[in-house]
Amino acid sequence: MASVTISNIKKDYGALSIIDGLDLSIEDGQFVVLLGPSGCGKSTLLRMIAGLEPITSGEIAIGDRVVNTLHPKDRNIAMVFQNYALYAHMTVFDNMAFSMQLKKRPNEEIKQKVGWAASILNLTPYLERYPRQLSGGQRQRVAMGRAIVRDPTVFLFDEPLSNLDAKLRVQMRTEIKELHQRLKTTTVYVTHDQIEAMTMADVIVIMRDGRIEQIGRPLDVYDHPANLFVASFIGSPAMNMLHGEVASERDAWVVRTDELSLPLPPGAAVRPGQKVIYGIRPEHLRPVANGRGIPARITVVEPTGPEIHIFASLGNTAICSVLHDRMEVSPGAVIHLEPAPERIHLFDQGSGERLDKGRS
Amino acid sequence: MESSRAQTIARDVLAILVVAIFMFPIAWWALSSIKPYSAIFDRSGPVYTGFTPTPDNYRVTLLGVSRVDIGMEQGGEAAGVIKGGASSYDSRQSLLDSAIIAVGSTALTLLLATLAAYCLSRMQFSGQQSFLFWILSQRFMPPIAIVIPIVFMFRDLGLRDTYTGLILVHSLINLPLAVLLLKSFFDDVPREVDEAALIDGATRWQTFRRVVLPMVKGGIAATAVLCFIFSWTEFLLSLFLTTSIRTVPVKISTFVTSTATEWGYITALGTSAIIPSFIFILLVQRHLVRGLTLGSLKE
Ligand SMILES: Nc1ncnc2c1ncn2[C@@H]1O[C@H](COP(=O)(O)OP(=O)(O)O)[C@@H](O)[C@H]1O
Ligand SMILES: [Mg+2]
Repeated sequence: MASVTISNIKKDYGALSIIDGLDLSIEDGQFVVLLGPSGCGKSTLLRMIAGLEPITSGEIAIGDRVVNTLHPKDRNIAMVFQNYALYAHMTVFDNMAFSMQLKKRPNEEIKQKVGWAASILNLTPYLERYPRQLSGGQRQRVAMGRAIVRDPTVFLFDEPLSNLDAKLRVQMRTEIKELHQRLKTTTVYVTHDQIEAMTMADVIVIMRDGRIEQIGRPLDVYDHPANLFVASFIGSPAMNMLHGEVASERDAWVVRTDELSLPLPPGAAVRPGQKVIYGIRPEHLRPVANGRGIPARITVVEPTGPEIHIFASLGNTAICSVLHDRMEVSPGAVIHLEPAPERIHLFDQGSGERLDKGRS
Repeated sequence: MESSRAQTIARDVLAILVVAIFMFPIAWWALSSIKPYSAIFDRSGPVYTGFTPTPDNYRVTLLGVSRVDIGMEQGGEAAGVIKGGASSYDSRQSLLDSAIIAVGSTALTLLLATLAAYCLSRMQFSGQQSFLFWILSQRFMPPIAIVIPIVFMFRDLGLRDTYTGLILVHSLINLPLAVLLLKSFFDDVPREVDEAALIDGATRWQTFRRVVLPMVKGGIAATAVLCFIFSWTEFLLSLFLTTSIRTVPVKISTFVTSTATEWGYITALGTSAIIPSFIFILLVQRHLVRGLTLGSLKE
């Protein structure tokens, strides 16, 4: 097990700069999720850690050893690929045993090690099968087995679950997390799925265009998104964003939008006239009695079972509210919604940065 | 789509018809090879049945029985014996020559082509696209255009009339297609498989030899069949580059002499020549399983 330290890493493809000066340090034993939209450079970063992609400049260290020029096999890492990349002509046993066979380990040790991995991953009955005779979830587990038999210091996962169906994905998510709790191996996990990131990570690293937008524990990132991008990327349904301008009304700060005035909590780091975005998560927008809150016309009602998602329009802006209690609502009616004041997120319209960073 | 019984039958009949059209020349060839001389040249029209089948054409070409001896067996009909030496229709050596050259050139082609194709599929170097086009362009030239220079080169190199020479030339002709074909099979194996092997501790060579190569077995088998068939049937270069070595196509051409065309022997040897190709295809056929890479990937 080891930490991973990435310092001022850059990656160019010819004239194209994919990653431009990225720093990240991952502690020993942590489960770190790299989260971001497709094409933001997550895989590239992971592949540079693995040694599959040369580094343009900067430094990557695993433990206290700089690995920049080290061959993948000498980095003592293991990687699980999105398409599993199993050896199709080998049995499950041989797939898992391959790395030890290359190292010419004694047969007894190989058998014992593969047996151990197979029992953890519930693959024992399938050891003599070929990958083509396995289901998607089993193939995924073989890919993981191949990784764990090597006792790597770092596990690298590149969207390992994106080829599985929804139900299996949830199940495998738990299995990977359990595996991590059991082995406590430092893990870097790439995904574009925010639910995966939220549920599995010790630390989420949110990336965009080759840069890190925010690093933090899942709930911290959720509760205090550092900027508009993070705020809109994390959370489903997405955070409501109302555009407005800061003004002073009867000794209190408000955000004035086209339709209404929204009260601000005292002490918000804003100045009058500042153009801001007023963010509020759907679950923090509660229905209240007539006369208070924001009046909005309901357009769509989506009951999901545990929750009801209400989509409504506020002038030209669409807003969403998530209710945990049952409530009789129908499209066309007007609903009054009130934001929970302590749950308001304010962002600068120009920079997109969070404005109340001092708080929390 | 559900098809009715009538449709199924119609389709089967059509399939049989198409196969029959393609099979007819071969069947006619095989039929002629067991006809006696008189049935091959019947002035009243093609003979399909009603002749006494004879193994004589095969005895001459494959067993080396001289036609004089056969003439003696039939008694008196020795008139046709005068021309043709005792063993000039004996084709056993030709079958052996052809086999050596076809197997040799197929092996050499595959050896070079798998390595080249793997590199072209996995590695990037400047001018790669142009290089690929250059490989393809080698097929633009008709063999007749290169045969004269090769004759001279081979004379100087001492390669004329050698197995090595013909193996080299056939490999040369086969290589472009083999490389491009195999590259497409290697391209079908995702790069991540190589990368997984590299991380597992394999060297490039081990990755190639133990992981990727077995995964393209089907493609190699298909390529091998094409190379073998080309070499087995190649006529022009073999004719120019050899004198004592006679591959089967060249040997057959000698059955057309200034005084007669020995249809009986031509058809017998032609029919027999199909068999080794056929056996070769049968041997590799079990590797021609589609979807061998299935299972290494997502669904
Ligand atoms: N070999 C390459 N050559 C040029 N550009 C590449 C190459 N590989 C990836 N890229 C580009 O780098 C960016 C990041 O890719 P990637 O790391 O795969 O993103 P992600 O995994 O976050 O979806 C993308 O814009 C992609 O087009
Ligand atoms: Mg990716």
